[in-house]
Amino acid sequence: MLKNKLTVFGLTILTLFAIVALLAPIIAPYNPNEIVDTETLAPSAQHLFGTDDLGRDIFSRAVYGARISLTVGLVAVILALIIGILLGAVAGYFGGWVDTLVSRFIDIMLAFPSIFLILAIQAMLTPNIYNVMIVIGLTSWMGVARLVRGEYLKIRELSYVEAAQAIGCSPWRIIFRHILPNAQAPIIVAATLGMAGAILTESSLSFLGLGVQPPTPSWGNMLMDAQAYLRDAPWLAIIPGILILLTVLSFYLIGEGLRQAIDPRQDYAGS
Amino acid sequence: MIKQAIAVFLLLLCLTGCAAPGKLTAKAIKLPDPAQADPNGSLILALGGEISVINPVLSTDTSSSAVEGVIFNGLTTINESLEVIPELASSWTVSPDGKIWTFKLRPGVKWHDGQLFTAADVVFTYDTILNPKVNSVRRSDYIIDGEEIKFRALDKLTVQAILPKPFAPFLTRTMMGIIPKHLLEGKDINTASFNRAPVGTGPFKFKEWVTGDHVSVVRNDNYYKGRPMLAQIIMKIIPDENSTLVALEAGEVDETGVPPKDYQRLKAKAGINVFEYDALTYTYLAFNLANPKFQDKRVRQALAYATDKEQLVKLIFKGLASPAYAPSAPISWAYSDAVEKYSYDPVKARQLLAEAGVKNLSFTILTNQGNKEREKAAVVLQQQFKKVGVKVDIRVMEWSALLKIVNSPQAPKDFDAVLMGWALGLDPDAYSIWHSSQYPTGFNFIDYKNPAVDRLLARGRTTLDQAQRKKIYAQLWQVIAADQPYIFLWYPKSVVAIRERVGGLSRPGPAGLMLNIEKLFVTK
Amino acid sequence: MKSYLRQRLIQFIPIILGVSLLSFFVMHLAPGDPTALFSDPNVNPIELARIRANWGLDKPIVVQYFYWLGNVVRGDFGTSYTTGQPVLQEILARLPATLMLMIPAYILTLLITIPLGVICAVKKESWFDNLVTFFSFAGMATPSFWLGLVLMLVFAVQLHWLPAVGMYESGITGASLFVRGFDFIRHLILPLSTMVLLSLAGITRYQRAAMLEVLGQDFIRTARAKGLPERQVIFKHALKNALIPIVTLIGLSLPDLFGGAFIIETIFAWPGMGRLGVMAIFQRNYPLIMGIVIFSAVLIMLGNLLADMAYAWVDPRIRYAKK
Repeated sequence: MLKNKLTVFGLTILTLFAIVALLAPIIAPYNPNEIVDTETLAPSAQHLFGTDDLGRDIFSRAVYGARISLTVGLVAVILALIIGILLGAVAGYFGGWVDTLVSRFIDIMLAFPSIFLILAIQAMLTPNIYNVMIVIGLTSWMGVARLVRGEYLKIRELSYVEAAQAIGCSPWRIIFRHILPNAQAPIIVAATLGMAGAILTESSLSFLGLGVQPPTPSWGNMLMDAQAYLRDAPWLAIIPGILILLTVLSFYLIGEGLRQAIDPRQDYAGS
Repeated sequence: MIKQAIAVFLLLLCLTGCAAPGKLTAKAIKLPDPAQADPNGSLILALGGEISVINPVLSTDTSSSAVEGVIFNGLTTINESLEVIPELASSWTVSPDGKIWTFKLRPGVKWHDGQLFTAADVVFTYDTILNPKVNSVRRSDYIIDGEEIKFRALDKLTVQAILPKPFAPFLTRTMMGIIPKHLLEGKDINTASFNRAPVGTGPFKFKEWVTGDHVSVVRNDNYYKGRPMLAQIIMKIIPDENSTLVALEAGEVDETGVPPKDYQRLKAKAGINVFEYDALTYTYLAFNLANPKFQDKRVRQALAYATDKEQLVKLIFKGLASPAYAPSAPISWAYSDAVEKYSYDPVKARQLLAEAGVKNLSFTILTNQGNKEREKAAVVLQQQFKKVGVKVDIRVMEWSALLKIVNSPQAPKDFDAVLMGWALGLDPDAYSIWHSSQYPTGFNFIDYKNPAVDRLLARGRTTLDQAQRKKIYAQLWQVIAADQPYIFLWYPKSVVAIRERVGGLSRPGPAGLMLNIEKLFVTK
Repeated sequence: MKSYLRQRLIQFIPIILGVSLLSFFVMHLAPGDPTALFSDPNVNPIELARIRANWGLDKPIVVQYFYWLGNVVRGDFGTSYTTGQPVLQEILARLPATLMLMIPAYILTLLITIPLGVICAVKKESWFDNLVTFFSFAGMATPSFWLGLVLMLVFAVQLHWLPAVGMYESGITGASLFVRGFDFIRHLILPLSTMVLLSLAGITRYQRAAMLEVLGQDFIRTARAKGLPERQVIFKHALKNALIPIVTLIGLSLPDLFGGAFIIETIFAWPGMGRLGVMAIFQRNYPLIMGIVIFSAVLIMLGNLLADMAYAWVDPRIRYAKK
């Protein structure tokens, strides 16, 4: 996997961003919410990324924004995984009416125009970073569930499962300790893609004003503020956009690398 | 009516700042020669949002009002000096007891479908508004202290309005567009197809409405004020302010509001005239007086001293706004700045806070999404208050959600402070905002109670003599400013950019530049 | 096949009901209500309460739901709160704009992406493949709104080649069909390009993966072993099979077709359904929201159904597997 140059590129970027995000208070030269200089200054030695429309240092805001984006991605995906694995495993393993019920539920959730659900829930709860994570998690578990269900349907026919059942292991034990580790490969790949998607969704929500609220910096809401300055101060828009792009790209590349490592023959892209 | 609509439309369209000396040199206003007017000219305007219905009785958004402004007329309208002048009513008188207003209507005015306009239409319009089954938000405008105003047609050209008691602001409420009885009688106004294909008496007739894209209207050759010079007006729906600006510079629209950051650039740009004028609005930070944090007047005053209004105006508007001190606007005839100004004095702020025994004050400012200036102001205020040891959290909320909190019928309401603005009506009567009875239902959402204020408000709205009213209101502003239930923040200026090919504009003022729409023309 | 179809269609009903129930309650639990769309703060709250009652919003939610359901069964989706017009009419009025953006976007995307994906698979690991792969990933990672803004900045604001917003030039309705058509295309280019560039990325990879999988299969090896020319192997044997997943994808993308990309519609002021839906939510325009939700849900399910059916039709193995 590490042979693939692209994957290495992705890993490097991501690690870099993760370090920056973790060490944000140390790395950021200014307070991200403080007005420190004249508005919309171009990038310079004093302000690496320039200043925004209120005179705040963009580099510092970007650094803290990294925290937000990565955290949202992580938590949202974890939530989606928990729900998805649980429901998918139960449906796949038990089959029968349980499967039908869960599958119908998945269908209903999929039939739902997810944008609406997200918007409506965001309007219902006060938009803040926690709700964004929850909402994204609650609306993106379906793919994982279907995937897991498929895996479980395949695996439960295998002999070692029969053996475990014969011994008298409880179903939950079988689900989690026996089958899950073997199904983990596609799940991990799905997780990396999920993080990419979550970050994109968060930035879209923040762009619309329904995600992380100003003045807390998030790459998405920095783009929202930057719209009006496209002509006069394009770096306000270009920089956060590139950051989002690089982060999401890294996740895709890593996911792709993982997938190739797992099953070099199956060169899937996923949807 | 047209004027008010367009005025409102333009007012809410933009606020901006003036320029600090810059590299760009502003050019002088260049207006076109009327002799060059194109008899088949089309004017292209931009609407900031979707149109809901083209019916003045029902609509509440500025886009719909803009369209109604060119299609309908009211009994009265305003002129460039914001005075009420006749429109469909050629004259009016008031009875000595102030309760009966008699309007004489202009003869020979025709609806766009050829029918004659009569007093029956006027009565029909107001009866419709007062009908509780009609979803008109203007109904309260015609109810005084719980009693409805009665409208009667004395003959084909005379209408009487019978008020339960004298009410000075009444005249300013007669600008409502009149709708045709012969087309709407017996129909359900809320859902009538008329709302998508209206008929009025105004200078322009409805031609088409392409959903989501634009509305176009064409010249009404029989307009009572004379044949309009424009052949057609097209109103495009462009919800994004930046796109509108791009469209203006690309020649796709003829007029738009200008944000502060673009002021310099547009002022220097060839082919575009930029006008600045005062607006009838003010922005404020309101304290929830039912909240123990703000009940001590000294706390509020301290925060007022901690506010550097000059910095706010400079930072956000680049000078195209001025600091506010009173709940009125300089352009209003009732304005007076003989009030306590609370000039920036952080030392005094700290002193007052200490006096009030307040340590570590922290509160949340709510403001609405979609208004960049307010969001920025919240951030700046957060910083300014930090300097005197007060911690502020900011929550930017969706407009509906914010209104729900502020207008909730329960008391006490759930907020600390809100940063919002009032668009003032033509009449200075601010009863609904400051009177103690207007809480918790009404616009006094901060639970402000001051008997002196209540008395002054009541006197202000029942006195008909303007000179006397001016004195009453001056006193009123003084009392309110002393209490600081709001910190009055700024008066924005309106800045509008219009392409040089558009002429016939009215004098720049809060009524907007397109007051006499029938006089507008464009050159080829 | 017929009974399968009937079965699937019957399954629609509980799902649509589930969706409607979920949406209705979520919608009503959201704070704020439709009277907030009277954004004019000079409106007296008493009037708002009266209007709310006129709309039946003072009744308990459950009652409101059944009232709505009863009407829907009779084909009445209610009237929009903002315009007073029937909801169905509102939706159908915006549908053409969305279709006119999405259908060309889809066709264009497919026309480009299928050959691209096939070539990449055939020339796997070549510089071409790596280049396209990189750009595909980049494309998938790009936020749609950002790309839209950048394109607008470059082509409309700086270069003035294309109009920035809207669907047609004002006043154009009188002009000839040719002029109107040309003008429409000019307005279409930027939003269309944004959509295509973004979809290209993901679908190309999908197509490439599908093609690779087919090429790795035994029957291809057999064909090659038989000595068939490579061209024949690719076009006659592999391609047809590789197209199967794309068919599925088309079906699954049906709701997007109608939902429209609302962010792109907002940036370019394109009067489509996506924007209608988002605005309806902000305005708490309940009847309209429900109408759009049901509409989308039905489309999503139809899309799935069509995809499954097409899949079965195209892949004989599946057809014969069904008894």
